[in-house]
Amino acid sequence: MATSSAVNLLLRAAVASCHRLPSTFRGVARLGSPGRFFHASAPARLSSEDKITVHFITRDGDKLTAQGKVGDSLLDVVVNNNLDIDGFGACEGTLACSTCHLIFEEDVFKKLDAITDEELDMLDLAYGLTETSRLGCQICLQRSLNNMVVRVPESSADVRQSVDIGKNP
Amino acid sequence: MTQTIKLANKASLLARCFPESWAEPLFKSQSRVVKTHKTMAEMPGPSTLSFLTDLFCKKGLSRLHELQMESKAKYGPIWKASFGPILTVNVADPSLIEQVLRQEGKHPIRSDLSSWKDYRVSRGHSYGLLTAEGEEWQKIRSILGKHMLKPKEVEAYTGTLNEVVSDLIGRLEHQRNLHEQRVVKDVAGEFYKFGLEGISSVLFESRIGCLEPKVPKETETFISSINTMFVMTLLTMAMPKILHRIFPKPWQKFCESWDYMFAFAKGHIDKRMAEISEKISHGEKVEGKYLTYYLAQEKLSMKSIYGNVTELLLAGVDTISSTLSWSLYELSRHPQVQANLYKEIMATMKDNPIPTAADVAKMPLLKAVMKETLRLYPVIPSNARVISDRDIQVGDYLIPKKTLISLCQYATSRDEKYFSNPNSFQPERWLHKEDSHHPYASIPFGFGKRSCVGRRIAELEVYLALARILMHFEVKPAQEGHAVKPMTRTLLVPEKEISLQFLSR
Repeated sequence: MATSSAVNLLLRAAVASCHRLPSTFRGVARLGSPGRFFHASAPARLSSEDKITVHFITRDGDKLTAQGKVGDSLLDVVVNNNLDIDGFGACEGTLACSTCHLIFEEDVFKKLDAITDEELDMLDLAYGLTETSRLGCQICLQRSLNNMVVRVPESSADVRQSVDIGKNP
Repeated sequence: MTQTIKLANKASLLARCFPESWAEPLFKSQSRVVKTHKTMAEMPGPSTLSFLTDLFCKKGLSRLHELQMESKAKYGPIWKASFGPILTVNVADPSLIEQVLRQEGKHPIRSDLSSWKDYRVSRGHSYGLLTAEGEEWQKIRSILGKHMLKPKEVEAYTGTLNEVVSDLIGRLEHQRNLHEQRVVKDVAGEFYKFGLEGISSVLFESRIGCLEPKVPKETETFISSINTMFVMTLLTMAMPKILHRIFPKPWQKFCESWDYMFAFAKGHIDKRMAEISEKISHGEKVEGKYLTYYLAQEKLSMKSIYGNVTELLLAGVDTISSTLSWSLYELSRHPQVQANLYKEIMATMKDNPIPTAADVAKMPLLKAVMKETLRLYPVIPSNARVISDRDIQVGDYLIPKKTLISLCQYATSRDEKYFSNPNSFQPERWLHKEDSHHPYASIPFGFGKRSCVGRRIAELEVYLALARILMHFEVKPAQEGHAVKPMTRTLLVPEKEISLQFLSR
C-alpha cells in the first residue's frame, strides 16, 4: 500500500466516521481539529451579552482587556485575542507546565470551580505562588466572573532580566 | 571569563529562583551586589580516567543512580564528569534543577541521545517524539499532548484500560495458582506484559495477547529487545566512536533491537490500516478511539507514524512495569499502609467491582502511594537538558550553550534535606507536606512542555491496576526480609526478581 494512499484512506475513514460517532466521541474527534473549530458550532446562538470580559494586569502593570465566551478557558482568551503575555501557556493547556499561572482577587477566587489534584501538583511548581493562584488553562469563563481582574505574576525570566550582565565592571 | 552582575531590589523573589549559596548576600545588601561567575574550569568533578574506571571496572553503569549520591557528597550540588566523549554538568539540588528548567526555552532539548538518533538516520527512519527536536518536535508534541495529556481525553481510555486490567487479574490468578504458596514469581515480568498490552490497546485499540496463559513469541522478543536496547544505549554512548570499530557488538545488538521494535510497530499499524480499508470497501462504518487513528487524521506521514508509535510503545512498558512492581513490593513490606489503602479503595467502591477514572480521583492515598514509589524509584533516575542557543547561569556557574546538563533526580528525591527518613516508604508524607518540602525535589515525570507525554495515561493505568489488584488480593513478600535494590539500565529497574505472594481477599 502506497504511503500517501494509506493516509488518505484513514483520513476519509476519519471524516466519514465523525458523523456517526456517539456525541461523546464526536467531542473527542473534533478536538482533533484546531480549537476554534470546536467552538464553531455554538457561536450562532451567542449574542454580545454572552461575552465575558476579563482584565489582565500584566507584569509591567498594564491592563489588557479581552472578551471570551462562557466555557472558554482563560488560556483560550489569551490565545484567541493574541494578548502579549510572554511565555504564557507553553504546554498548550495540557497540564504539563505552570506558565499560565494567574493570581485572582480573593472574592473571585472563591467563585472558581474546585481545583483538581493534577492542577494542584502543577501549581506547586509555579513561580511566585500565592494563596489565590490558579492555572489559567483550567479556569473556564462563567457569567459570575464577568469583569474580573486577574494578575499575571512576575516570572523568573523577569528577575533574570533585572540582572544586568556586563563584561568587565 | 569574568562577568559581573548588578541586581535590582528583588531579593525575595531570587530566594526562590536561585540557590541559597548566592541568594544569601542579596538579603544583606538589597541595592547593589557584585558577583563573579565561576567558569566550567572551576567546577569540581572526577578526572576522566577515574570516572571511566568507575563506569567500566566497578559496575558503575548499573550503579549510575548511586554515583549521583556519592558524587554529590564529594563535590557538592553541581559537578562535571565526562561520560565517555560527552562532558556532562550534573546538577543535584532542587533549586538548581528549577533554574535549569526555567531557562529551557521554546523547544527544549532533553539530550542529544546520539545513539538513538544515529540509528534512525542510518536506517532512514523518521524521528518520534523522544528523538525529534525543534519545530518537528513541537508539531508532534502538540498533536500527542492534545490526545494524551488533557485529563478529559485521558478519561476516555478508562474502558479500554480496564479490559486490560481484567486480563491482568486473570493472568495473576493463573500464575499464582501454579505455585503452592500462591507466589507469583518475577512480578516485573508480568507487568511488562501488562504494560505492553496496555499501551497497545491505547495505540491500536486491539489486543495482542500478552496476558494470555501462552504469551505470543513476538511479545517476548519485543520486550527483550527493549531491555537489550536500554543496556546498549548506555554502553554505546559511553564508548568513544573509535572503540565501536574494535568492539562492534554493542552497536550491532543495539541496532538489531531497534530493528525488531520498528518492525513490530509497523506490523501492527499496517494490520490496522488493512482492517480499515477492508471495512470501507464493504461500506462499513469506521470508528476509532485509539492514538494511531488520531495521528493519521493529523496528516502525519506514515514514516512519522511508524517512528512515533515505536517510541510510544517502548515508553509504555518499563515505566508501567517498574512503577507497579515497586509499589506492590513496598506495600507488601508495609502491611499497615496496604490495609489503609484497601480501606480507602473499598470505602469508595462499596459493591462496585471495577474502578473508573472518577473513582480513583477520590483516592488520595492511592495517588500518594504512586508519588512515594516514584520518589524512591524514579523510572528515569536522571533527566537532562541541553540549552542550545545561549549560555545559562546555574548557581554560581555560567554553563556554556550546548552543554549536556544532567538533572540528578534520584539524588534529590532521596535527600534528607527535603524528605525526612528519605529511604523509607511513607506515602502519608504526600498527604501532609513537610515544611522541608521543595516542589522540584521529586519530579519523576519531568516538568514543562518536554515532560512525559504519557504521564496522565500512565497514572490512570497504574491507579486502575493497583486498585483492582488490591481489591482482589492481599499482597505479601514471598520470603520475609528478601530485599531488592534498584539498578540503572538507562532506566531504573529492580536489580533482581521481585516475587510476591497473592492471597485471595
